[in-house]
Amino acid sequence: MASLIPCPHCGRRPKEEFTIRGAALERPGPDAGQAAWMDYVYLRDNPRGAYREYWHHTSGCRRWLVVSRNTATHDVTGAEDAAAGKGGKA
Amino acid sequence: MNRLRLSTGGLIDRSRPLSFTFDGRKMQGFAGDTLASALLANGQRLVGRSFKYHRPRGILTAGAAEPNALVTIGRDGRTEPNTRATVQELYDGLVARSQNRWPSLDFDIGAVNGMLSPFLGAGFYYKTFMWPADFWEKVYEPVIRKAAGLGRATREADPDGYEKCWAHCDLLIIGAGPAGLAAALTAGRAGLRVILADEGALPGGSLLSETATIGDRPAPQLAADIAAELHSLPNVRVLVRTTVFGWYDGNVFGAVERVQKHVAELRAGAPVERLWRIAATQAILATGSEERPIVFGGNDIPGVMTAGAMRTYLNRHAVAPGKSVAVFTTNDSGYRLAADLEAAGVGVAAIIDSRREGSPVGGGSARVIKGGLVRDAKGGKALAGVTIAVDGSNETLDVDALAMSGGFSPVIHLACHRGGRPIWSDAHGAFLAPQDTEGLTLAGSAAGVGSLSACLADGAGHAARLAGLLGRAAQPAVFGPVAGEGTGDAGKPLWSVPGIRGKAFVDFQNDVGLKDLKLAVREGYGHVELAKRYTTNGMATDQGKLSNINAIGLLAEARGVSPAEVGTTTFRPFYTPVSFGALTGASHGKHFQPVRKSPLHDWAAKHGATFVETGLWYRSAWFPRAGEKTWRESVDREVRNVRLNAGLCDVSMLGKIEIHGRDAAEFLNRVYANAFLKLPLGRARYGLMLREDGMIYDDGTTSRLGEGHFFMTTTTAYAAGVMNHLEFCAQALWPDLDVRLASVTDQWAQMAIAGPKARTILQAIVDEDISGEAFPFLAAREVSLFGGALRGRLFRISFSGELAYEIAVPAGFGESVADALMEAGEAHGICAYGIEALGVLRIEKGHVTHNEINGTVVPADLGFGKMVSPTKADFIGKAMVHREGLTAPDRLRLVGVKPLDPAATFRTGAHILAKGTEATLENDQGYVSSSAFSPHVGSTIGLALVRNGPERHGEEIVVWNGLMGETTPAVLCDPVFVDPANEKLHA
Amino acid sequence: MPEIQIPAFRVASRAALGSKTALRSAGISIAALPEGHVIHVLGEAGGPDLAPLLREVTGGRPHAVRTAGPAQWFLVGDEALSAAGVAAILAALPPGAAGVDQSHGRVRIRIEGPMVERVLAKGTAADLAPAAFPVGHSTTTLTGHIAAHLTRVAEDAFELMVLRTFAESLWDDLATMSGEYVLQAADRA
Repeated sequence: MASLIPCPHCGRRPKEEFTIRGAALERPGPDAGQAAWMDYVYLRDNPRGAYREYWHHTSGCRRWLVVSRNTATHDVTGAEDAAAGKGGKA
Repeated sequence: MNRLRLSTGGLIDRSRPLSFTFDGRKMQGFAGDTLASALLANGQRLVGRSFKYHRPRGILTAGAAEPNALVTIGRDGRTEPNTRATVQELYDGLVARSQNRWPSLDFDIGAVNGMLSPFLGAGFYYKTFMWPADFWEKVYEPVIRKAAGLGRATREADPDGYEKCWAHCDLLIIGAGPAGLAAALTAGRAGLRVILADEGALPGGSLLSETATIGDRPAPQLAADIAAELHSLPNVRVLVRTTVFGWYDGNVFGAVERVQKHVAELRAGAPVERLWRIAATQAILATGSEERPIVFGGNDIPGVMTAGAMRTYLNRHAVAPGKSVAVFTTNDSGYRLAADLEAAGVGVAAIIDSRREGSPVGGGSARVIKGGLVRDAKGGKALAGVTIAVDGSNETLDVDALAMSGGFSPVIHLACHRGGRPIWSDAHGAFLAPQDTEGLTLAGSAAGVGSLSACLADGAGHAARLAGLLGRAAQPAVFGPVAGEGTGDAGKPLWSVPGIRGKAFVDFQNDVGLKDLKLAVREGYGHVELAKRYTTNGMATDQGKLSNINAIGLLAEARGVSPAEVGTTTFRPFYTPVSFGALTGASHGKHFQPVRKSPLHDWAAKHGATFVETGLWYRSAWFPRAGEKTWRESVDREVRNVRLNAGLCDVSMLGKIEIHGRDAAEFLNRVYANAFLKLPLGRARYGLMLREDGMIYDDGTTSRLGEGHFFMTTTTAYAAGVMNHLEFCAQALWPDLDVRLASVTDQWAQMAIAGPKARTILQAIVDEDISGEAFPFLAAREVSLFGGALRGRLFRISFSGELAYEIAVPAGFGESVADALMEAGEAHGICAYGIEALGVLRIEKGHVTHNEINGTVVPADLGFGKMVSPTKADFIGKAMVHREGLTAPDRLRLVGVKPLDPAATFRTGAHILAKGTEATLENDQGYVSSSAFSPHVGSTIGLALVRNGPERHGEEIVVWNGLMGETTPAVLCDPVFVDPANEKLHA
Repeated sequence: MPEIQIPAFRVASRAALGSKTALRSAGISIAALPEGHVIHVLGEAGGPDLAPLLREVTGGRPHAVRTAGPAQWFLVGDEALSAAGVAAILAALPPGAAGVDQSHGRVRIRIEGPMVERVLAKGTAADLAPAAFPVGHSTTTLTGHIAAHLTRVAEDAFELMVLRTFAESLWDDLATMSGEYVLQAADRA
């Protein structure tokens, strides 16, 4: 009913404040080739266990986060700013 | 009153009598009564009829697990079926009706099912209604549906208010019995933020029915004293009448508080129920234990109840169970009841103890039958006697009440809500909570702890330990020695009694008996999950709170294995039923979803706008004038007037985004398919935004207001999505770019002024020169208005194909500026126009919207192929937009369509067929994506996505609408119906 | 030259919550605040905390500078500013900060009284206890269905700043959430 996401900027907030985009995949380069792009756009793993996803704190700080959660236990093991993991500035 | 009500004692207030009715009969109770205790005090033992056999049923328990005493409370929209009389507090004027009987509770035709019971056993439905196959839908199901269910839901709207709220605490304690109260006091004194929730009206749990003393205080007094101290602590919140119904991820608990389900007069503005979501760092589950019924013949006859329930009615509600009582027990607790009955002057015929060994004390002077078993209870609508089997012989006792105690099951439901499985304990003769319940600690009898003193110590001890974990030093609360308590010995489970003659029920609510479970095992459905579905045991609204354990025990017996091997079915929320009202909260009526009102809403309203909901927005659709009889008349007039003179349309709901930063231009270059790097200052450009799969995502114009400052508009529908998308690109894809985004949709009131007179009218309020030379097509600049009184942003862009501008002013000034434009334009024939006219104008001009940009089109499909930059290194969608299939020549591409006969029409969504072909999937050539009546053309026109569309202008086709049965001969044409040379646009 | 006469237009701003009457009771009071100014400051991601510099811009008025997520702030005041006034603030921003005028895009509502935490807890999942949400703290959170920027301005007073076009809906929601305290007081009167 009410998963709480530990937003690194706002603290624990209910999932209703967030928008889920799906797997946190690395965007291929423009010349990576059709196969890499087909994978990126269409193919998704469906793991039982650890999963990393992009979540947007839409009704909060409006930052994109990478949320690590377990699809089997529903445990949320972490959430970091999406820019932070990319050498960018959060 | 009644001879069953004791003259002294109990927690009822004899100075506050309350009147109520049951099946129209007027009765009286006292403040502090439940409906059940009041019915018993009035001698009303027969309370309902059972689900399948329509057996007379009474009151079995004194709590939330009650399977029998389900009644309908209230009237009209407040009708609430299947209310448990055992938890419903009595209030003045309460109206209760029995259920599942016709024509009356006393004389119920449905009771004939009881005689048919040999045919209605487990699997009856599966075996009986199999054939003929047709009969299921036409005959069986309607008949079964009519007979099924207990109470009837009302069809009237619920007039009451509900709400939801959040709470946060260090420690949530569920259950305010001995363990919960001791825990709350310990944690509260240590300064933790504590929430203590209990489903009852008073904190205390079993203390309220207890005759033991603690440190010389009577048990109910101790409960009251602890509650008073808790109320004095600002860090403790006590929620009574609150059932914690579920344990969810993140240690969030769901609870429902019955704020006003116990009052005669509702307090205005306050909800009747409140749904809580409680985020707890730690929680203690102190929900106590449930006493088990014993499976013997006639164990459902009114007058038979659990021993704990009888003790509650006697001690807490001062109601005698009858004149002569027998107590059937497998453990020591029955002796405590016997002693209390004797002290209250109620005759105890015998204590029938299934055990041979041991000599429990404290049973008073009653006769004890060791090794005795109640084989059958006798009676119809009331108990008349019991047959006892002892040492191979039978004895009959004439009693009018029978208490039974088959041992205790810890209430561990919540501990299992997140997937943990209960663990069988031979020592406890019960299932205990799973081991791994991080964040949730079980305490007291919910953890299998036996006696009152042990429960107090257990609750206090756990709270002190958890306080330590949370960084607070705490001393376990102590309450002094307990006198007169039971041993807490659980006894050995007794799953059934041999030699039963009558019907022996396991699941009272679903009428599942001993024989049904045995049949299930014989027929191969002995697995606990299969047996549940085969017999329906545990599937009623009580979810098997009383019956599951006995069913498991009986299955184990029948299969010759341990209950551990049988296991349990899955515990899921909700612990007890939660009303739809509580789950809905305030989100109904006008609070169902927010309404977004444009800053020009009131301006539109005063011009008589008809509003239409688009998403959350209320948009002005058209502006009817006197004499116009249909919406089309209004829309046609508005369209003609824009093309002839001028019109003003509210476009404030377009998404507007400010983009700042050193890399803003580079950023736009990457999110749009077309080039933006070199957009000159003071110019607007139409932009196409793609998805990574190459399809068009959204379109709009973006203007450059400074070197690193842009202003983007999006479509209304995708405003929020585009903002999220841009933030994703900026934060997750290219965080190395310096780009900063702010949504300013709400900052600006934006108006489109379109038509040949637009410039003249606008110039009346704009201080700068906006002539064609000074302010050409696609100019975009900040301007001064009203001689410097205001500043706005002016864009020369056109959706209609006319000479047109959009002007944005700070939202609060919107109405004032619109008024000024209407006044300035009056002499020039300006009119207000709505989004219907806007739609016609854009279709006439061949402009696309999300009707065309529907997730299946790439730029080339709409004739925008050349906009897609071939030179940019990267942009969203670049890698996929040119892949095979998206460049095929026979893709559906944009084309215009109009009927051959101007009087004929077609609709959006209709399909295009080549002339003379059949309407088959293979022959489908595409579909009409937008259509409208065009005053300019004089007929219906449409935009369509058609195979090879642009190469087929002039081809006669058929527009086919299979849903409406319409076939319209038509011709494909250029999608631009108005001013193809753009002379008006550039005027 | 314009072809028509410029009429003497009275350019006036219409308040988004102009039709709403303040609710007052012993437990809770709700009032729309003046539509003054709101400047949205966008710092560079990962840049320095600009709050101290921004406080200089606002002259140190209490609660004039409010955090709005990483590297973003709102400069807030009751005074409505002319275009020139807004331009002056934008010009005074620290180097590298971009400013966006949201004075008309955001509407502020003050809600206060001993029941304020209870009322707001009906809308937001943010922990409002003073230890977790002290005076001066700001955050954006869902209040029911509507996202709003929330600032604690006193022990028992908060300001909600909401998108203008949602303001009436939020007001109506707050009125319902306060109903048990407001209507109760009216009954007693």
